[in-house]
This record gives sequence, structure tokens and C-alpha cells, in this order.
Amino acid sequence: MEDYKFLFKVVLVGNAGVGKTCLVRRFTQGMFPPGQGATIGVDFMIKTIEIDNEKVKLQIWDTAGQERFRSITQSYYRSAHALILIYDITSQPTFDCLNDWLREIDEYANNRVLRVLVGNKIDKEDREIPSHVGQDFAQRHDMRYLETSAKQADNVEKLFVQIASELMEQAKSKGISSDSPQSLPFNTRTSKSINDYCCNR
Amino acid sequence: MEKLTFYALSSPEKLDRIGEYLFQKASRDISRKRNEFVMIAMEAMDQLLVACHAQTLNLFVESYLRIVQKLLESSEPSLQILATQSFVRFSNIEEDTPSYHRRYDFFVSKFSSMCHNNNPNLVTMEMIRMAGIKGIQGVIRKTVSDDLVENIWEPVHMDKIVPSLLFNMHTMKSKTDIVVESGISEEVNDKTDSFSLAESCLRELIGRASFGHVKSVIRPVLKHLDAHHMWVPNVFATQCFRILMFSIQSQYSYAVVETLMTHLDENSNASPKIRTSIADVLSKIIAIAANESVGPTVLEIINSLLTNLRTSVTRRPPSNIGLSESDGENEYREALIHALGEFAAHLPDYQKIEIMMFIMSKVPQFKSSNNPNDLHVQRMCLKSLLMVSTKYSSVQMNATFPQSFLDLLLKTLTASEDEIRFIVLRILHTLLDRHNNASKLSKATVNISKSDINLEKCSRSDTIFIRKHAQDIYVSIYESLEMTNNTVDNIEAVYTTLALICIELLSEETVLDFIRLILSIQELAITNAVLSTQQKFQLHGLVISIILLVAIVTDLHPLKDYVEKVIEQRKLLNATHLLPELSVHNEVKSASLLPAGVLIEEPELTEALKASGIDITTETGPVLAHRRSWVENTNMSMKGSFTDLSNLDLDSVNSTPAMQRRFSPNEDLSFEAMKRSLLDNPAVRVEQNTRQTQLCDMFRNTSFQDLVAISTASKDEESLHSKITDVFNKVDVSNKLSAVETSQQPKPIYETLFPELFAF
Repeated sequence: MEDYKFLFKVVLVGNAGVGKTCLVRRFTQGMFPPGQGATIGVDFMIKTIEIDNEKVKLQIWDTAGQERFRSITQSYYRSAHALILIYDITSQPTFDCLNDWLREIDEYANNRVLRVLVGNKIDKEDREIPSHVGQDFAQRHDMRYLETSAKQADNVEKLFVQIASELMEQAKSKGISSDSPQSLPFNTRTSKSINDYCCNR
Repeated sequence: MEKLTFYALSSPEKLDRIGEYLFQKASRDISRKRNEFVMIAMEAMDQLLVACHAQTLNLFVESYLRIVQKLLESSEPSLQILATQSFVRFSNIEEDTPSYHRRYDFFVSKFSSMCHNNNPNLVTMEMIRMAGIKGIQGVIRKTVSDDLVENIWEPVHMDKIVPSLLFNMHTMKSKTDIVVESGISEEVNDKTDSFSLAESCLRELIGRASFGHVKSVIRPVLKHLDAHHMWVPNVFATQCFRILMFSIQSQYSYAVVETLMTHLDENSNASPKIRTSIADVLSKIIAIAANESVGPTVLEIINSLLTNLRTSVTRRPPSNIGLSESDGENEYREALIHALGEFAAHLPDYQKIEIMMFIMSKVPQFKSSNNPNDLHVQRMCLKSLLMVSTKYSSVQMNATFPQSFLDLLLKTLTASEDEIRFIVLRILHTLLDRHNNASKLSKATVNISKSDINLEKCSRSDTIFIRKHAQDIYVSIYESLEMTNNTVDNIEAVYTTLALICIELLSEETVLDFIRLILSIQELAITNAVLSTQQKFQLHGLVISIILLVAIVTDLHPLKDYVEKVIEQRKLLNATHLLPELSVHNEVKSASLLPAGVLIEEPELTEALKASGIDITTETGPVLAHRRSWVENTNMSMKGSFTDLSNLDLDSVNSTPAMQRRFSPNEDLSFEAMKRSLLDNPAVRVEQNTRQTQLCDMFRNTSFQDLVAISTASKDEESLHSKITDVFNKVDVSNKLSAVETSQQPKPIYETLFPELFAF
């Protein structure tokens, strides 16, 4: 038997140094790597979690924030089921860039992709973006909002679980058992459709 | 293992069940981190894959790929590498049944990310990256050949694959400092480092690309170079494109050039540095494409280069016109022109002429424009023309200068901008100079000997060419000398042009016209009221040095003696300002400083010519008469040049066949005609001249039908015949002139030439 019922692709985006890789590491490996270097290109992690007694496999693509890798990271947006947009609550510039990121997402990603805004590094004292500002921004752009700390593991688990369950809801409501892949919420042309994986032969 | 293989072979229907089982076993082992078992399972899979045959393999492959994916998903580097190795092996198996449902996009994504692996352990990192590249290679192999599987050329995939390869190429290069000249060599011997691996993978990719897909490969390359700011410096970009150019199926190579060109267009607002670099890359690869491009694509490429030049020129803010502009922009233009030259250099000669004509037609034609931008465009176009012409090697002048090209070129020679005239002269130099004399003749000098020059006897067709076009060329040169803004450089350039004409084209038959031109120039220097004194002195210097050269080249010893006497005289009478070096005479002397005996006097000249074997017993008059009428002629067109209209008229008359036909008995039958004209008395000559003008007027004013009637009338023919017989008689009498050619020789030439000339 397959050891999971759903497979979702999650892509993390955001400025360089906001903590994308740390967040992923915390979630998948349960550790906080101090002095993490800049990601090059794209990194890949996998994690299977259990929601409502159903196994969900998350493919997590951790992209580089640096401008020069933009061309390759963009190519990963399209196949994503969920996009996590991250900024650093202690750094105004990373927040200011959110609009640019959204524009990029609109351009390259599937338009039905689930988008989540995350303010990272809440463990830090010198907060610059109050949480309601982030909340407002998320609401305005129809996104989920969450504040996390990869260092202290605050909300990290919750973040991914939320995403997974939401995607699962979506998938179920669109009729996962149906045979027509078109009814799936995701672009079946370019991504591996969920159907490929949710079979129990 | 053997048993398993045997079993699988004997009962193929069980194969998918075996696969399923192995998959489950392996995935359990993976999650329990029992790597050894995983490896065993993997090996079993591999062997089965190799052993079993196609039809039954399909379902089995499904489970196989799932294992591979599973392995790739694990965070263990060793497992990832194992998976890749196995996958590569799989990719080398040829399947003959299509698989509609197989999807590789996970593999593409994963392998791409492996290419960017950043494992702290350098060795592991290297290994994983290599594995990634190999994996990509595998995917490419697997998908390219099979149309039914995923289209690997889709941007989704290409955007991942290409940057990953490029990334590895440049990071690895900078890390290991491989000085890669292997970028050019076709074979990549050393497959051990990820640089060359990525390179060969890229080669393979582009090599398999069909025309429609070339662009989808190039686009990510351009994007990547943009994103990584790799245009400046453009070493890597150049290398990349070379790789692409060498590996691509050669018939598509121009598509690369085209794409790069479009990219240049898109970047027209980028900083000049970037554009310069792009243009530079273009110039480095364009040669490779040139061999393959044909017909319209050539002109298309040239056209877009020219357009870019033009936009670059017009982009200058109007405020700083005339001031020195940013260097970047200039460099950019230089790079573009260079690219153009490179491109042209690799085309066959006939296409070069085509290109030159094309560029010439793009040169804006205007006489007195006040818009500096237009002038600038003109200058740029001519510069590019010059660039092309340097790549062209003339063989026959009439092939080099088709009528329309020559006309335009000569017209531009009389442009009001001295710089433009200078460029045109240089174009003429490069086109005329077949024996590499230009550099020796770049300065007017009187210290020249025959051994300095590479000489070759002027060929028949060249003589015809110069006979036909001498008037036009000489008039234009003369006019250009009349310009008041000529600098020393201009006059030097005219010297070089004349000297080259003299060397390349003059023969005994045509030398007279040339000497007339020289005399006209001297007269210009004496009589012209507008030119500055200094310019006049320069003209004198030009005259004396060119006539000396004529004497040397055509072996006219008496003439040479005479000219040397004049030179001596000038030196004696302290009139060195009338001699070269032209640029030396900075101090302006009084114009009246023309002591007796320093000028080239016509009677003496005639004597000298006579003595050198050119019989001009009664020639003194005609030389002058003809020259004067000729000067008048130029003056007329000079005046016309400002209003343009009459000038055009004149030109067109000069180039109409009717005129040529009229000339043909006189001018084009060269040798005998020449002699006849030498022997004719002045009165006849004058009469002929008036007849000519009459005829000219007639052709200008009468209707076409009348013209046809006239030209078909036998009158012309008859007179021609009588003239010819005349000529023959005279040939017999004055046989001593034709020391080289026997008297029988002219006849066959005449016979062969006659129908052609008359068939117009």
C-alpha cells in the first residue's frame, strides 16, 4: 500500500534571510540550524504528516531568496499547491517587498494556489512590523496569516498542518474520488495530479 | 538474483507484481533507514529492467520509477545518488512502447534542485550536483525521443533544467579555475567535473532541439544571464553561446542569433555596458552562424543590426549633441559594427556585395540636413559599410562596384560633411586595394620608387571598368576636393584613393584621363577663390606626388624626369610648401608664393608624354579643351548639387544606356578609339563635343518613341563603321604605338565587344 493518501507541493518564497530554510528544517528535521548559509537555487524536503487519520505527504520546495536565482525559483511556482510567503517581522524591507512577491506569484503560479503569509522570527525583540499590519495585509490579499518562530518552533507545526488540512479539504470537496482529473483544484497539465497518488490498489 | 531474473523472464505477466512487491519492500526499508536492503532491492530492479523486454516492462517501470522517486525524496545523499545512477541506467534503455501516463516533472524538479545542492561537505555536494546533472541528462534522453511523453521543451521544464546546468557551469568554473578552452573543443574528454558534465549535457540538449524548441532553450539562458548579471563581463556568456552555437544543429544556428538579437532589442533601455556586452557576444558567435544563413535571413540580421545602430544614435538626448557623449554608447556602437563586420566576413563574396549595397541603400541620402542625428546615422552606416568592405577582397572591379552601388557611393563622396567624405574615401581604399598598397600610400610623398609598390598589369575588364566609370569617379573626387572644409586627412585620403586607382586600374590607354584630372586639380588649386591657402598648398602637394606616382607606375620615364625636375625646382625655389608632407605646412604662406617653374606646365607635360611614347602631337589643344569642358561639367553639377535636381538629372543621363551607346564608339572601344581621339584634330573633337551635348539634350527632351526611332536608325551604325575603318587605317599607319599589341589584336576584341555594347 502507498504510505500516504495525499501529496501536496508547498513552495516557500520570500526575501533572502527571512528564514525560509530554517522554517523548513524545523518542520522536517526538528532542528534549528544556526548560521544557515544562503540557499542556492532550490532545496527539497519531504515530510509526511497525519491529519484525521490520513497520511499526507508534503513536498516542500525551499527556494533561494536571492535575486539572481529568481529565474529558476519562478519555475517552481507553477506546480505548487500552496505558497508560503515569508517576511521577517524585524525588517521593514522584507515586508515592503511583499507586493513584488505577490506580483510574481500572480504571474507565475497557478491562480488557485493556496497562499499563506508568514511573519517569521517572532522570538526576536526588535519587532518592526506589528502583527496587525501583517494581518491586514494578508486580509487585503486574501491570504492566511500566521506568525512563527523557527528558532523556538512556535507555530511551525501548526503552519504546515493548517496548510495540509486546508488542501485536503479542497481536494475532497472537489471530489477526490471522481475519475476526472479536471475537477481537481490543481493544474493537472503541469503538475502531478493528486490522483496519481491517492490510489489504494 | 539469477533465479529471480529467470522467473521474471519465463513468466512476464508476473513482472508487475514483482515490481509492486519490490517497491513496497524498498519503501519500507527506506523509512527504516536500512540502506543496504534498499540497495539490494534497487539492484534487483535494475537487473530486471535490463533483462526483461519491452512490452511487459511498462507496468514494472511504474513501480520502478516510484522507487526512484522514493529514494530521491529521502534526505540521504547516498540514496539520492543511488537513485540517480539507477535512473541513468534506466534512461539508456530504449523502450518501444509508448507510455502515455508517465510523468517526469518531479524528476526534473528534483534533479534541478540537486544541481543546486549546497551540502556543507564539498565532496558530497559535488557528487550530488553531478548526480543531478546526470539525472537531467537521463530525463532528457528519455523524453526527447518520445513525443508521447511529457514535452520536455515546455518552459516549465526548461526554466529549471537550463539554469541548473548553467549554474553548475559557472560556479564550478570559478571554483576550480579551469581555464577552459575546452569550451571550443567538440569533445569533452574529462567527464569527472560537473562543469564539463553540465556542458556536455547542455550540448546534448541543444543538439536535440528542433527548430521550434531552440528558442525555449535560449530564453532561459538569457534569463539566467540577466539574473546573474553575467553580461558584464561577458566571458561566460560568450562561452555559453559558443557552446550553443557549436552544438546546435547547424541549420538552426541563425535562430540563436535571432533570439539574441531580440534580446538586445528588449534590453534597449539597459545600460550601455550591458548592451555592449551583448553586442560583443553577438559579434563572437555571429560568424558561426554566417556559414549557414542564406538569403533573406542575412539581410534580416543586417537590417536589425542597423536598426539597433540607428536607435542607439537617435537615443542621444538632443541636449548634448555635438558634445562628447557617454563612452558606453559609443562602445556599444563599435561593438555592433564589429558584429556586422564579423558576420560579413564569413559570408561568400557575392553576398558581401549584396550587403554593401543593402547598407548603402540604408544610408540616408540628403545633401544639407541640419539634423545632427541624421548625420550621425549616416556616419554610423558608412562606418559599418567600411567594416564590411574591409572584409571583402575585390577581384574584379566591375563586380565590386555595381552601377547603383558606385553611384550612391560617389554621391555620398560629395556630402558636405568632411568626416563622411573621409569615410567614403576609406571605403574606396579598401575596395580598390587589391595588392595591399594602401598603407604605403597613406601619406602623399615624392619619395617613392617602383619597388615599394605591388604592381600587377591591369586586366582587360578593369580597363573597361575604368573607361566606363572614370568620368563619374573623377568628377566626384574633384568635387570633393572643392569642399572648403577639407582637412589634411581628407586630402591625404584623396591621395590614397587616386594612388590606388592609379595602381589598380590605370593602363596606357587610360592614363590620359587621369592626368587630365590631375591637371584640373592643379588648376583648382590655382584659380579657386574659396579654398584656403593652406588647402591649396595641400592640393599642390597632392598633385605633384600623384603625378609622380603615375609616371612611376606606368613607366613613363620622360614624364617622370619632368616631374622630378619640377620637384627639384620647387625645392630650389624654396617652395617646399608645394610638396608633401601635406600636414607639415602649418604656417600659412602667401598665396602668391608660386614662383615660376614650380607648376606642372602643360606644354612640358605634353612633351614629356610624347616622349614617353604616347603620341599627342596635336593633343595640346584637346587636352585643354576637353579638360575645360570637363571642369565646366563638374561646376555645373556642383551648382546642381545644392539644388539636387539638375544633378540628379545629369547623373541619370550619364548612366542611361543611350549615352553609353553614344559613347561606345568613342570611349569604350578603348584602344583604337583612344588612339583615334588622340589623332583627331581639335576641331573634330569640339564638334563631337557639341554633338554629344546636342544628343544628350535630345535624349533628355524627346519622347521615348522618338528615341527608339533615332537609336534604331542606321545612321549611327554607319558612322560607326566608317569610323572604325578610319581607325583601322590609322592603326596601320601609326603602328609603332602598339608596341605591345599587334594591329590584329584590336579586331577580335572589337568584334566580341561590339554586339554586346550594341545590344543594350
